[in-house]
Amino acid sequence: MISVKNLSYSYSNDEKLAVKNISFEISKGETFGFLGPSGAGKSTTQGILTGLLKHQMGDVMVAGYDMKKVQNERFNKIGVSFEQSNVYSKLTALENLKYYADLFDGPTRDPHELLKIVGLDGRENDRAGEFSKGMKHRLTFARSMINNPELWFLDEPTTGLDPAIAATIKDIIRAEKAKGTTSFLTTHNMYIADELCDRVAFIIDGEIKLIDTPKSLKQKYGKKLVEVEYVKEGQLYKETLKTVEDADRQKIADIVKSYDIQTMHSKEATLEEIFIQVTGRELI
Amino acid sequence: MMKKIIRIFRKDATIATRDAMLIYIIVIPILLAIGILFFAPGVTDSAVKVAMFESDAPAHIEYMENYVQVEQFDSMKEIERRVGKRDDVVGIVPVNEGYEIIVEGNEDQSAIESAEVLNTLFELGATRENTTAEILDFGKTVPPLKTKLVNMLILMVIMLAGMIISLGIVEEKSDNTISAMNVTPVSQNGFIIGKSLLGGFVALGSIVVALLIMGYFDINWLMILLVGLTSMILTFVIGFIQGLGSDDVIEAAAGVKMTMLPIAGSIAGYELLADKWQWTMYWSPFYWAYKANDLILSKAADWGTVLICIAAVTGLSMAIYFISIPKIRKGLS
Repeated sequence: MISVKNLSYSYSNDEKLAVKNISFEISKGETFGFLGPSGAGKSTTQGILTGLLKHQMGDVMVAGYDMKKVQNERFNKIGVSFEQSNVYSKLTALENLKYYADLFDGPTRDPHELLKIVGLDGRENDRAGEFSKGMKHRLTFARSMINNPELWFLDEPTTGLDPAIAATIKDIIRAEKAKGTTSFLTTHNMYIADELCDRVAFIIDGEIKLIDTPKSLKQKYGKKLVEVEYVKEGQLYKETLKTVEDADRQKIADIVKSYDIQTMHSKEATLEEIFIQVTGRELI
Repeated sequence: MMKKIIRIFRKDATIATRDAMLIYIIVIPILLAIGILFFAPGVTDSAVKVAMFESDAPAHIEYMENYVQVEQFDSMKEIERRVGKRDDVVGIVPVNEGYEIIVEGNEDQSAIESAEVLNTLFELGATRENTTAEILDFGKTVPPLKTKLVNMLILMVIMLAGMIISLGIVEEKSDNTISAMNVTPVSQNGFIIGKSLLGGFVALGSIVVALLIMGYFDINWLMILLVGLTSMILTFVIGFIQGLGSDDVIEAAAGVKMTMLPIAGSIAGYELLADKWQWTMYWSPFYWAYKANDLILSKAADWGTVLICIAAVTGLSMAIYFISIPKIRKGLS
């Protein structure tokens, strides 16, 4: 669905590159996470893939279209959910969706249905200007699905949303994946990437440091530890033991057998910890 | 693509009905037209008016009515009150063997002299048939001051079209919706045309309504609309540039109002410069638009001259458009 070979981009049209010679492929139906801190090159890459930024160097094919050529009809296959909400504040929620539906060539989704799935049913005839930030974000998210996209760009889809709404958004993304929609998810939130993505790419300073599945990364970079808290002779003790070393395994067995266990957790590495381990940088 | 362009126009029209500023812009030209019509009676009516006694000789009243507007009163006090009003009215009252001319003192001298000469001719028993002079008609059938004011109103309406576009773009920017538009199948050209339609329709509609209010029923409408349409190209360009460069409505409106400078300069140049210096204004599309409108409103226009003016307006505006389009495209990206 997306093929990127040796892509580079410079905002100043010189050797100062915001994206440096990156390559990756995304297959149909895959949810691909593009992870990195602010200024890493995530939005620049997404801008090039969506056509919002002019293609400069490298080969980029998106949904069967060569991004070197300007072909507006490609947007019939693409949906983009922006990080910042962008809806007409003087139009109602329903008018916003109907307006965008009329701008696409193919069949579009029922605006009422979309408003319902993002939890805005009952607010169809309220102007978007009267909406809270979260509601505007949901309307923007709903609009990105109006043309039933084959390829869906999601820029920080849950940022700034309360946990309940964020869970709804994640459920919608999973449902679209089940229908075969390919998603390109840009985020600095490792938890949502871990939950939703088939594969993730770590990008920093315009360079991709690695691409792999979250599970594989955890296996590769996880330390396989157990953290245990127990009471011995009236005092609380806390130890972190490796599950792959015989001495530690025996010690875990002794503690369980001899003392009063307070807490016991297996401790696998999070994507965030792996990111820090791989890139040496934090996700801020 | 036409369907999408019309959809953009319909969306802008819906937003316009919910925006007080845009409604003011639409209403202002109509109010100005009504204002010119009602609050400046001397503009549309330059005929001499006289006040006379009802009891005056019927032959005298009938003679005067052939040439001027006559208002009749039954007392000297009422004649004096009428003469004392704001407009120019000359009182003619019989005294002894002759007549007395009553004026307020601040009337147009030609109105007083016209009334005086006409009354003298009546006393001498002269009629129109006695003259040996022939009338040479230059074809000017519309009062010149009225033509100028209406022409200025048309150019102001055209400037307001640019302001409507500018405000629409500021609205798109504040809602951050240009980026959303850029990920739809609508091309930038389609978007530019769609965003221009509301300003264009409002301006043309306002021009038509203002002209009808002012009583210009029998002018060449095709000519006036063609000149109006071509004049708008430049204000559209200015509207887009100002809208993209402004962060709020006030800044955008102020920017577009700067267009008044070349418009005012073009009008002043056309009206005040001697013929040999008129060429110094040829650079301005507004000069050509004003010139064309002046001829059309005076009912003195021929297609040859009007087409030259339209070609000049279009050529100059398109040149500015092509210079500005990279900046507009960049702003819309």
